[in-house]
Amino acid sequence: MEIELKKFGTTLISRQAGTEAFRAFQPTLQEVEKDENLEINFDGVLTFSPSWGDEFLSPLLEQFGDRLILKTSDNLSVQATLKTLTEVNKKPFKIED
Amino acid sequence: MEEKLLTITQAAEKLGVSVDTLRRWDNSGKLVAIKKDGGVHRFYREKDLEIFSSDIIQIAHDWAKDDFDLPSSFYCSNSAVFQARLTKLESLLMDQPDLAVLFSVIVAITGEIGNNSFDHNLGKWPDTPGIFFGYDINKRQIVLADRGLGVLTTLRQVRPTLQNHTEALDVAFNEILSGRAPEKRGNGLKFVREVTTTQPIELFFQSGDAEVRIKDPEKEFRLTRGQEILRGCFAVIKF
Repeated sequence: MEIELKKFGTTLISRQAGTEAFRAFQPTLQEVEKDENLEINFDGVLTFSPSWGDEFLSPLLEQFGDRLILKTSDNLSVQATLKTLTEVNKKPFKIED
Repeated sequence: MEEKLLTITQAAEKLGVSVDTLRRWDNSGKLVAIKKDGGVHRFYREKDLEIFSSDIIQIAHDWAKDDFDLPSSFYCSNSAVFQARLTKLESLLMDQPDLAVLFSVIVAITGEIGNNSFDHNLGKWPDTPGIFFGYDINKRQIVLADRGLGVLTTLRQVRPTLQNHTEALDVAFNEILSGRAPEKRGNGLKFVREVTTTQPIELFFQSGDAEVRIKDPEKEFRLTRGQEILRGCFAVIKF
């Protein structure tokens, strides 16, 4: 399953907004099959921050592990946020083209 | 870690005014110099000059120090107002051709600093809630300030052994804090340091009497203890 993050907004910054997005995402998450990958696409996102990302991506990484795949992004804030979250989680994200 | 003082000649060069002008300003009280041990030579703190050189910086700093009614254009009483204004800043920055790539990290670090103020002080504001949020696109600067509890007080909830403001800022900017539930937030300033040390963005951040500077071209993380104490936080981002 591929998720387009821009559907949650293009300026993804606050912790509260990240929490709300994660809650809203729960019903969709139930539809992911046990051996299915969950792909996150950052296309169209303008600004991404560790606060939002920590509320949304960190729990997904915990739950899906290697089945969580982040699509490569050339957005600087996405790249910098993933670096920070990797240090916080002490666990790398799987990033693919 | 005492802050280096600038001579009057260095200060004049930095501000782009004459030495005589600085002497006049000192005599009139407009920009007061420091005199060491009752001596006659005038010295200046770098931060005092930075504050003096820009109005929004001055207003934010004055408000962080002494409460007064802020102009509504700078005041964000709650996080929703801040998010809306930050989105406006984002579109203004995107319109600048030279910021087509950099805008996203400028907005992200501004968001982390501003949201930190709300996240750490919600329901605990000592007096005026909310933050100062001002920017000047032409001068390439963004200023944020709050009258909250400050980094030391909030970090002590998870690090009770913290002794002073400089230790608190050292931890806030340099150490990854994990397992902080229910105080889950707390790694935003590490992100701010990572971005400002790797991108053409400068930072001044003060809480208590601790001051962080990350400046071009050396991009070193400089943490010093100043002479003035601000209870909350005060930040200047230049790009």
